[in-house]
Amino acid sequence: MKFAHFADVHLGYHKSDALKRLEKYAFTHSIDRCISDNVDFVLMCGDIFHNNIPDMRVQKMAMEQFRRLYDSGIPVYVVYGSHDFSPISNSVIDLFVAAGYMIKPRGVALESGNIGLDFITDPKTGAKIAGLGGLKVGRDRDYYENLERTPLESESGFKIFLFHGGITEMMDTIADDGMPVSLLPKGFAYYAGGHMHEHQNEHFSGYNHVVYPGTLFAGHSSDMENSAKGQRRGFVIVEFDSTVKSIDFIDVPTCDYVLIVVDADMQTSDHVQDEITTKITSISTNDKVVILRIFGELLRGRTTDVDLRAVRQQLLDNGAIDVIIHRREFTSKEYDIRGEPAGTMEEVEIKTFQDNIKQISMKRDHLIGDRGVTLAQSILSSTRIKQPDNETSADYAHRISSDVISRMELDV
Amino acid sequence: MNIGQVVGGSFGNIMLRQKSGSCLEIGDLLVSEEDDHILILQIFDLEYGSQMNGKVQEMMSGVILEEQLASSEFYEPDFVNYILARVKILARINTNDTVVLPKGMPKFFNKLRMVATQDLKFLQKEDTNKIFVGNIRSGSKVLYDAEVWLDAFEIFSHHVLIPATTGRGKSNLVKTILYYLLYSNNVGALVLDAHNEYYGQKEIGLKDHPNSRNNLVYYTPMNPPPGSPTFIINLNAIRPDHFDGIIDFSEPQDRKMREFYSKYKGEWISELMLYQYSTPDSDNPAEASKSAVTINVLQQKLRQALDLKVNYDENIVLSKHNVFDKDRGDKTINQIVNHIESGKVVVLDTSNLSDDAELIVGSIIASSILDRYKSARAEGRLHEKPVATIVIEEAPRVIGDDILKSGINNIYSTIAREGRKFQVGLTAITQLTSVIPKVILANMNTKIILGNEMKLERQAIIESASQDLSEDDHNIASLDLGEAIISSIYVPFALPIKIPNFKDVIKKPPDNKPKMRVF
Repeated sequence: MKFAHFADVHLGYHKSDALKRLEKYAFTHSIDRCISDNVDFVLMCGDIFHNNIPDMRVQKMAMEQFRRLYDSGIPVYVVYGSHDFSPISNSVIDLFVAAGYMIKPRGVALESGNIGLDFITDPKTGAKIAGLGGLKVGRDRDYYENLERTPLESESGFKIFLFHGGITEMMDTIADDGMPVSLLPKGFAYYAGGHMHEHQNEHFSGYNHVVYPGTLFAGHSSDMENSAKGQRRGFVIVEFDSTVKSIDFIDVPTCDYVLIVVDADMQTSDHVQDEITTKITSISTNDKVVILRIFGELLRGRTTDVDLRAVRQQLLDNGAIDVIIHRREFTSKEYDIRGEPAGTMEEVEIKTFQDNIKQISMKRDHLIGDRGVTLAQSILSSTRIKQPDNETSADYAHRISSDVISRMELDV
Repeated sequence: MNIGQVVGGSFGNIMLRQKSGSCLEIGDLLVSEEDDHILILQIFDLEYGSQMNGKVQEMMSGVILEEQLASSEFYEPDFVNYILARVKILARINTNDTVVLPKGMPKFFNKLRMVATQDLKFLQKEDTNKIFVGNIRSGSKVLYDAEVWLDAFEIFSHHVLIPATTGRGKSNLVKTILYYLLYSNNVGALVLDAHNEYYGQKEIGLKDHPNSRNNLVYYTPMNPPPGSPTFIINLNAIRPDHFDGIIDFSEPQDRKMREFYSKYKGEWISELMLYQYSTPDSDNPAEASKSAVTINVLQQKLRQALDLKVNYDENIVLSKHNVFDKDRGDKTINQIVNHIESGKVVVLDTSNLSDDAELIVGSIIASSILDRYKSARAEGRLHEKPVATIVIEEAPRVIGDDILKSGINNIYSTIAREGRKFQVGLTAITQLTSVIPKVILANMNTKIILGNEMKLERQAIIESASQDLSEDDHNIASLDLGEAIISSIYVPFALPIKIPNFKDVIKKPPDNKPKMRVF
């Protein structure tokens, strides 16, 4: 018996046509593999979509692929991720669950104030599946601390726990959204995780096989740079009977990458321009995604003197699939224009939030520091959802404002 | 109420006659009201005084004993026999509550009274950066309204020494201090908890603090309670210099360790432990054989120090207590240091580790903390960081005379000497102050002195105190459970305190659990 474990697919993340095509290819190719490998079921541990209500194009593509799994008799068990969840329940995940293409383990609020989770037994294999998704920014820990653990831990059989969140012991930083592995219920045969974009497989006392497959292609600005540095992308296939027999990482090679790094520190803008030109002409970028990272403080000249638009065009003319330029840490000594940080859109947003949140003092922890930045990003992301053609402006405004109010945990 | 009168003596040794009906004790705090200020005084010795000479006293005793007299009041004892107290002046408090060192004496025949809370207004808590350590104590009497709050930033960046023998309330004091640190993020503390007693897995402890969820991180290697991370350190994090001043290696052994480190980098311990000697295939078999012996001794020392075991069949190195791991725990050190930098209290359950392993773990983390703080200073960001303190028990293991005389500095002695420049301090707990070099003791600018029955240790404490405690030998010897004296450059005089019982410090909030919405 075997199952596939996916997480952080982030369908709908990419903006350019070229990357949209690659995103679709990676997902379709992975579904092909699940079907050809005859997996008994599929786990998807959050952030399947980049937004809770993605574009119709993305929904259609996803619907086609999940339909293929459904038609092949392969059930898909899911939990929400922090991206595809909305506290007011407007999530495409619910649509797929209602359509029968996905199955979401159920949680119930108990009289004691605790949370109980029900097991779903996979009919074909007998595997028992429970889980809790990634919900509110920085609030997942509350849910886990209130989890009714005993019924989960005392259940017999081959048990799988689905979750979406960073495990502190497996993280490099102490980001607010991390939680220690001890918050998960003990004694499951497999812990299917999502949220961490790098593949990891670790075990701890009482917790065998805590696994993150990592992102399938890319769902964050740093993912493609990490791919270029050699981080593997794909999903996991697990063989089991009464215990886990093997865990295989299935590489999904979507495209080739080229990473160009330019240190501009103490250089002139002319020198940086020359260095970029030299580098891009000395390596083959044909049919590759190019990531250009520029950092450091210019000694002379402005950052805008370096014509990155021309660089980008030259790379595309040379056959690059797409060009991603990271320039957040690229500054100028002469012209340090604050308030207009350069970089990708996501980088600019983060930097702007960081700079502004730093200047305010508030008692509510979730509004300041890293949590504040994450919350601000999440609010911005929810306001970015386009108004569907068939929705009135009033309904749209109400939906968006309700979503924002709920994310901010305001009692209005 | 007056309790006595000044009857003579000298500046540091004023003689006070006790008023009948009063009951003076060593350590009592007294007040002499002068024209435009008050003087705070403290009793450091008591003796009998009498208007009768010795022969007459013996004769009177005979009359009482042999004639079966019920009392000796027939000769007006209130006037004839009395108690004399030897008193020293601690501080002069001006009318505007400023405290200065005393330079004069109380007026002759001035009547003294016991200290009252209003005399100690200058101790009042002013900001949240202060931590509560106890109430002012006068002899055995506790002034519950006079609380002692110390500036956490100042005292922890300039090192704290807690000298105490067993059973005098050391753990209770440390727990109380850590408890108050949890109220803010001004101090990041690394606590090497050799007895696993601070967090309170099974009884009350730091976990019961209302901020424990955000400001306390408890690492334990086995079965961490829900919400606590697993204490695993990757073997690759250990460098040869982490053993400096902790484990004694011969020069060839030290060289061999560094050879392995240079060759295998992070994998050096695994490679060294898995190294198996085979027939030398070199031009110099004698040298190769000698090298193999060195490696063999090193393997034994590392095995013992880190509690390692080697499985040659599977070619792996394991840790008996699950703390060190070849594959996992590569992020732990970084995370612990990040927590400290965020002003959290990090408690490491080192109860399963050997002494050496505990010190090495502390050494790895303390080195990382100091490195980070040094970088922050170089980059002008030090002021953004909380002060960091490393709480270590049985401190002479790393800052003892014998260790430091070996000439090899360990990270703890480095922090003791230069840490304060970088806002990194030690909180050293010891039973043996006398074996810590004077130069280190002089750098420990706050000492919270608990009871100590050993004369030699009391002497070492007195000699290194920030205030003149030369007359306090009896006072320190008589400190009961929970009683302490704070000597610090940050207090105006040596403060006698009563440390609260930790059980009384904890006030558990009611468990009002709101019902959560489930998605």
